Amino acid sequence: MDRISKAKSVLWIILGIAGAVGITRFIFGLGVTTNLTDNTPWGFWIGFDVMGGVALAAGGFVIAAINYIFGNERMHPISRAAILTAFLGYIAVAVGLLFDLGLPWNIWHMMVFWNPHSPLFEVGWCVMLYLSILFLEFAPVILEKWPERKLLAKIHAMLEKVKIPIVIVGIMLSTLHQSSLGSLFLAMPFKLHPIWYTPILPVIFFVSAICLGLTMVMVEGLATSYLYKKEEHPYVLNTLRKSAIVMLLIYAALRFGDIFYRGADKLLFTGTASILFWLEISFTLIIPLIIFSTKGINKKVSWMFVGAFSGVFGIVMNRLNVGGIAHVNNIAESATFYLPSFTEITISAGVVSGAVLIFFYFIENFNVWEEKPVDGTLEVKSIPKFSSNKVYLGSTKVTNRIKFSFFFVIAFGVTFASISGSTIENKGIEEVKVTKARGGDTLIIDGNRDGFAVTFKHEFHKSKNIECGSCHHMNKPGDKSTGCYECHSGMYSEGDGFKHDWHSSSAGAGQSCFKCHDQNVSKGKGFIKSIKKAKDLCLECHEDMFVKNSNIDKYETFKTASYADAMHGLCVNCHEETLKTDSTLKRLKPNLANCSNCHKDDYELKVKQMRGKKLMNKSVILP
Amino acid sequence: MKAILTDVTKCIGCAACVTACKETNNLDKGKPREWQKSDGLSSDNWTSVLRKNDTYIRKQCRHCLEPACESVCPVGALHRTESGAVVYDEDKCLGCRYCMMACPYGIPRYEWDSPVPYIRKCIMCHDNIAAGIIDQPACTNICPTQATIYGNRDDLIKEAKRRIKSDPKYLDHIYGETEVGGTNVIYITSKDEKLDFLTYYTNRLGDPEKKYGYPDITQSIPETTKIAMKSVPPAFLGMGAIMTGAYWIVQRRMKIEKANKDANKVNNDKNNEVGNG
Repeated sequence: MDRISKAKSVLWIILGIAGAVGITRFIFGLGVTTNLTDNTPWGFWIGFDVMGGVALAAGGFVIAAINYIFGNERMHPISRAAILTAFLGYIAVAVGLLFDLGLPWNIWHMMVFWNPHSPLFEVGWCVMLYLSILFLEFAPVILEKWPERKLLAKIHAMLEKVKIPIVIVGIMLSTLHQSSLGSLFLAMPFKLHPIWYTPILPVIFFVSAICLGLTMVMVEGLATSYLYKKEEHPYVLNTLRKSAIVMLLIYAALRFGDIFYRGADKLLFTGTASILFWLEISFTLIIPLIIFSTKGINKKVSWMFVGAFSGVFGIVMNRLNVGGIAHVNNIAESATFYLPSFTEITISAGVVSGAVLIFFYFIENFNVWEEKPVDGTLEVKSIPKFSSNKVYLGSTKVTNRIKFSFFFVIAFGVTFASISGSTIENKGIEEVKVTKARGGDTLIIDGNRDGFAVTFKHEFHKSKNIECGSCHHMNKPGDKSTGCYECHSGMYSEGDGFKHDWHSSSAGAGQSCFKCHDQNVSKGKGFIKSIKKAKDLCLECHEDMFVKNSNIDKYETFKTASYADAMHGLCVNCHEETLKTDSTLKRLKPNLANCSNCHKDDYELKVKQMRGKKLMNKSVILP
Repeated sequence: MKAILTDVTKCIGCAACVTACKETNNLDKGKPREWQKSDGLSSDNWTSVLRKNDTYIRKQCRHCLEPACESVCPVGALHRTESGAVVYDEDKCLGCRYCMMACPYGIPRYEWDSPVPYIRKCIMCHDNIAAGIIDQPACTNICPTQATIYGNRDDLIKEAKRRIKSDPKYLDHIYGETEVGGTNVIYITSKDEKLDFLTYYTNRLGDPEKKYGYPDITQSIPETTKIAMKSVPPAFLGMGAIMTGAYWIVQRRMKIEKANKDANKVNNDKNNEVGNG
């Protein structure tokens, strides 16, 4: 395979993985699939996809300004690619946002319900409008492909006429939302760390967006030239490099000047935040500036790529820091320090891969690298001409299509299959095995019956001279919060005391059939009946399961008495037994046959409830 | 305008308010999750009782006079009612969670478990009070020691001042009177236990006096974005003007250059002709 095919295969694989993971996000919700918490409600998707994405797409308006407004027409060869990058970048932002929003189907609400005080409202509107503008800016590239169609040609001519106003409106909108992304964080003065929080955050965001725009255009240009074996224009690269140096120096001055002016320089060498800051600064400023300004290596394409990529990485890291990582509540609590989950990173990577693939599609099918020589000095020969199924696609188009879809499907399938219950399970406290279920020193009890257990120091509570009855003798009708209800789950019907399905299911205890049943009996009723003695068997896992002198010997039916029967049996039998011998009880004469002794509080309620029930061969005494 | 006054010295930590809140607002039992360790609030717990040394502090939405959540919500799903409660309209919400980020007290909680999640927070029992089902929030109604009471904000501030004057054990500060522009849930506390809810984060940097460009603590959050938002129209039009101007100048210069070139060319041609002639 040649370079471009390899790159495409990798992108298709990432897209496949992301597709499978993306489904889980919508089925299971944000809490399970991301590392977002109430402490850090914004994470990688906002920091990278939205804020990083918008900034990465800044190349569009920067190059458009250089090209059309300042009339530097020698930059023409990259303008279409830059605008396409911006257009796809913004689409990627929108798609990424759909994953991040809790209720993505409500995204249109921003157009209907207005709140002009909100910076996010402004960003939303600017992005929507700018996306339309970018479409208009890029539309000629698509329209000119069919010059023989009259309608398209007409639209093309019309767009060409209003080109300059469109470009100007695009720059105006970009200025607004690039800076307003910074304004978003002005509302978080008590969260964002003081190295980053500054009243001029919008300005810093705008300037860094321009830096990022320039470096990103370099990265994009160098990468596509490498993949499509196309020579880079030395003049274009040099201009970009020089402008990047100037903008990075302005950014550095602004950033450090601001930090020193506010007195936050004391924080530059203390704590986690300072590490984040210096990492960010070395990627954004130190590495690119050294590479771009050192003679000798600043002419080499590979070094230029490293420098530009480092700049891109640094400013994206800035967006991530501001977006959630460098928030004081995040840094201070090391236990809940936010790092993006696998799902978040995969989906972001998938969105980027999708955008890149569409970019490649446009490069191969449309005239993105303009060939029109504006100036005689330009090298025109080096730009290859593409027709959709030639040289650069490796082999024939059809085989490639099969290859790529194969990669996509396999990646999708493998990921989807390997997302097991373990990765998409609720992150609550883990369910612990029921050891020492009865009378032990420390119990693990699940009082709410919701699958989450807590440790309960039984001995400790006993030592406090708390009456046993205060916990163990409160089984009133309908009381679901005691252990009795676990087995005696039906009020008047028989319950399942064993839960066969739960024990055999891999989602439950995950025991093999032969743990209980005889392996030598192969099938039929014989197999069902071949149960080992319940008492020994259950004790293997549940050490203290049986009370002394338990009647349970062999679990034949799994059936338990109804709650009412069990309770009545428990109290009435015991009281009657003890009544014979215990003189105190005899004196008190707790007449248990008299129902209203126990069921006195909520007589009416209970009568109502019971009348609605279908009773199973039981004679029920109304309370 | 209605408010809640919580007297921390009177709270015995029985958490009856938490239970009453759950019952009145039909909240789920809730499941323990990692981040609940910090303050007990979750989408199913709209109020919680924190224990700090020997005092109990009830945490809930402060119902700011100028709510950050109201000003940042892009669709206006959160708004402050006339009664003073900050309420949430889930039909408008699109789930961006900006309110959670912007809240200076970190109150709004999200239903992370649900595939259709909404923001959840204390709404001061606004719906029930407006419908006339109850005449005060469930928490203040149930409180056995009257540690948390409900009433007009002015009256409650007067009452708080009276208590502070009457007993030297109180710290001479009403939390929520001025912080972030004032809140409708106000606290008074003893001298031993300061409630630095708001300065919480800045304090953790170990240097509460230094402001590092942070706004003043009494300044409301909507104020912080106001300058940036106000400069939006001038920035927009200004950039348009600059770009149009630049374009005009550049074009003009190019035209002149071209004209000069042409003129030179013509001159040269003429000279040539003359020379030839």
